[in-house]
Amino acid sequence: MDVNDINVCVLRIEGTNNEQEIFESFKRLGSNPSFVHLNEFSSLEDYQCLMIPGGFSSGDYVRAGAIFSSRIKSMFWDELLQFVKDGYPVGGICNGFQVLVELGLLPGFSRNIGKVNACLAQNDSARFECRHSVLKHISSKKCAFTKLLPEGEKLVVPSAHAEGKLMLPDEKMYQRLEKNGQIVFKYCDQNGDIEAGYPWNPNGSPHNIAGICSEKGNVFGMMPHPERSFFSENENGHSGSTIFRSVIGYIGERF
Amino acid sequence: MSDVVEIDLNVSDEELQIISDETGTGLSVQELRTIKEYFQKEGRNPRDIELQALGQAWSEHCCYKSSKYYLKKHLFKFDAPQNLFVIKEDAGLVEFDDDHAYAVALESHNHPSAIEPYGGAATGIGGILRDVVCMGAQPIALIDPLFFAPPTTSSDMIPKGVKHPKYIFSGVVDGIRDYGNRVGIPTIAGMTAFHKGYLGNCLVNVGCVGLVDKKDIIYSRVGNVGDIYVLAGGGTGRDGIHGVTFASKELDDESQTSSRSAVQVGDPIMKEPLIHACLEANEKKLLTGMKDLGGGGLSCVVGEMALAGGYGAKVDLENVHLKESNLAPWEIWVSESQERMMMSVDKGDLDEVLSIFKKWDVPAVVIGKVIAEKRLHIKLNGKEIFDLDLEFLTEGPMYKRPVKRIVLRNNKTEYDEPGDYNETLISLLKDYNNACDDWVIRQYDFEVRARTVSPALVGKENFETHADASIIKPLEDSNRGLAMTSDVNPFLMELDPFWGAASAVDESVRNLIAIGARPHSFADCLNFGNPEKPEKMWEFEQAVQGLAHVIGKIGATFVSGNVSLYNEGPAGACPPTPSIMGLGIIDDVEKAITTPFKENGNLVYLVGTTKDEMGGSSYLRSRGIRGGVVPRSNPYELSNASNALLELMGKGKVMSCHDISEGGIACSIAEMCIGNGIGAKVALEGKHRRDVELFSESNTRWVCEVDPSEKDEFEDGIRSHQVALRLIGRTGGDSLVFTSENVPLIDIGVEKLMNTWQRPLWDIMG
Repeated sequence: MDVNDINVCVLRIEGTNNEQEIFESFKRLGSNPSFVHLNEFSSLEDYQCLMIPGGFSSGDYVRAGAIFSSRIKSMFWDELLQFVKDGYPVGGICNGFQVLVELGLLPGFSRNIGKVNACLAQNDSARFECRHSVLKHISSKKCAFTKLLPEGEKLVVPSAHAEGKLMLPDEKMYQRLEKNGQIVFKYCDQNGDIEAGYPWNPNGSPHNIAGICSEKGNVFGMMPHPERSFFSENENGHSGSTIFRSVIGYIGERF
Repeated sequence: MSDVVEIDLNVSDEELQIISDETGTGLSVQELRTIKEYFQKEGRNPRDIELQALGQAWSEHCCYKSSKYYLKKHLFKFDAPQNLFVIKEDAGLVEFDDDHAYAVALESHNHPSAIEPYGGAATGIGGILRDVVCMGAQPIALIDPLFFAPPTTSSDMIPKGVKHPKYIFSGVVDGIRDYGNRVGIPTIAGMTAFHKGYLGNCLVNVGCVGLVDKKDIIYSRVGNVGDIYVLAGGGTGRDGIHGVTFASKELDDESQTSSRSAVQVGDPIMKEPLIHACLEANEKKLLTGMKDLGGGGLSCVVGEMALAGGYGAKVDLENVHLKESNLAPWEIWVSESQERMMMSVDKGDLDEVLSIFKKWDVPAVVIGKVIAEKRLHIKLNGKEIFDLDLEFLTEGPMYKRPVKRIVLRNNKTEYDEPGDYNETLISLLKDYNNACDDWVIRQYDFEVRARTVSPALVGKENFETHADASIIKPLEDSNRGLAMTSDVNPFLMELDPFWGAASAVDESVRNLIAIGARPHSFADCLNFGNPEKPEKMWEFEQAVQGLAHVIGKIGATFVSGNVSLYNEGPAGACPPTPSIMGLGIIDDVEKAITTPFKENGNLVYLVGTTKDEMGGSSYLRSRGIRGGVVPRSNPYELSNASNALLELMGKGKVMSCHDISEGGIACSIAEMCIGNGIGAKVALEGKHRRDVELFSESNTRWVCEVDPSEKDEFEDGIRSHQVALRLIGRTGGDSLVFTSENVPLIDIGVEKLMNTWQRPLWDIMG
């Protein structure tokens, strides 16, 4: 389908606060984003992409993303599951990633989509930290949001969160993610070393994971903010914008 | 709901004082006599709610009764063509481009933060956001100048009733972080100063800038008779009772317990949708006026909005939605509960306004309407409980308080040169006042909204150094940027309030120029001691004159501000602290200049003249020497140098630039080395003694990095504006070297500079 016909639902509730920059990222590339307040949500029928922005949905006073995800579940869970199964892309950045994990859409093993088996735990520093992270693109094949980003490419993307450590129940599950090609971004230093440690890995995430996708590749979440580095091109001309270009390209080809 | 009580004012002066104390209104006996006369004419006694309303309206905080005489005399006489609507409202409005204006507000939340640092600072952010939103502007940036006693202060130095500065510092930063980050407005600039005079009176100043389409500008006044008052946002509770009267007196060792209820409780997740809803209703042209509920709560907002429109108001108090039951009517009327906005709405638009608030899950209720007569009537369940002339209520007294000159210790002092210059520089970089602030900065989301094109930390990832100012690019389709900085040096202020204040403006200007922005407007938050003490009033007048000395000649003026007096506690008064927020315009953000050196082999220039002005310097402090001449500021030289640098920066002739302030040229160049890990070799001039050249904090100076191929053009460009200039060295290598007569005086590796400068706050704060 043509880029002009691609409609993106940018979902907001009280406390989501990165919706404007996600909106603009899609708008700049010629697609049609709309802000949809959960109170005004009717259906995903007219949309080809759902984005959950960052922020502090409902204050995040319970657990990051917990309230937003349970409100989504109570309002349109079945429709959302179908949307995902049909291959439409769903993206979450920062708090949006936390929401997708709380929903069980990520890690999103095809066998049991919707089963909550991960969480984004408090940073090792036990505080909110805002710093520029260097990310290394790990899997180039599967994720709908990074199709245009070559394997191994490094991007500088701002991190700003207090709970970004991706915790899974056991080491086996990390290996499964690795094996399935679901790990999309890892933190690294300026030379691309993923074992560089803090502050390059700002939160202590095991295996330095910054972003993952579902087994099918159409659900994607990451802690750093590519919408904030839309214009910061690296030496190969890639920037945060590549993420948005990729998903628009994916929709264009598939639907 | 409890009843309204009548208060008999026909009593002796002693008893009037007792009435003031018991009601907590903070009114003086003289003021109560004026009120007594008013009510004698009315033929009755005041009710408690009326007296409380007068106490709020006539507080120092609300009516500036001690400061307004001096502000009018010295500071409000300047104007600039870009000013659209300044001083008169909660925020000043200045032209951004043909279609847009920006709104600027800066105020203090000092007393609440001293009592309850987390809540005090958080609600400071909440309040300043509302000041900008009520002009119809979308907040785009927050700025926080903070002042504490050193976090290393020993516990036995802490007087009774005072909290440890480390606890206060940590709590304040947590409060700003949790509120600012949650509400999604980037905290992009600020400053942190440590001085023992802030023990017991920390200063928490909060600034906000917003952007508004000129056609959406709205004012804090009602439109027409018959307009409906709509109160939106959080419920009214018992938090924040007497906030303004508490802010208008000194803190004592009982304040920690007696004034706890004066601190409000913040709820950013009410604020975030409240901002959206207010702006949506305004953009749809459904409002005739809007004002936030800040100091004094309903009692200030209803009357001020009505009177500003030339009318009066009628209120039904039972309609106000409450957080808790059993509030006395006067408590509802003066409560400063957070997250509340007042709007005046034409009757025909009321339903649409209410439905917008419903969509955003924000409570909104009708509480009254605008009447022609300039009086305020309040009814509670149909029974009249309040009837006052609005001009009498709102005007407030104005005092010309006496001043008494203090003998300053600001003469030239004698001292020896230090033994080891390497160690001296290291100790200056470790000083909490000079060291890296990233322990603070990184707790704030400085890039939310994705409009921060140059943050407060610049350089290679995780090697960043301090920026002179931060830049926001507020519009999607324009490269025009708004630069922001905040400055004041309490050590200069305590030695010489006139030149200290002049230096604060000079530094603000330098910081804006250093990144390539033209100074465009300023806001001031004047934090001083008890104005009833003539020495403190003198400090205030001196500082205001010092600000005026520079501000009148640089093409930009103060457009907004706030006065916070009575910053005194059990440990004494705070140093006089006029914190200045400077805003600049940069036509093309792509041309912004940053602090760190960019390449090896470039030329390093000193622009401006170093003088033997060591008073209050970081260097003399490190040597334990008080006194000395405080740096002067010549606004004409400042203006010439600014024009010269902006011209060259516009042409791309400057690769990096940093202003020279605390720690002198030595610390300034050290910070330029840090961001990208590039060293420099710099030769001293030999005009002054070596420590003076390295560490003098003379105003109106910058260090610039210039490509050798641009040498002639750069030098001609500076000299054509009659500005002093000297080529002092070259960039390159792994260390920072200062030589005197070709002999190295300082030689420190850049990595060591970085580690020394970066660690101090992390080491003490964790």
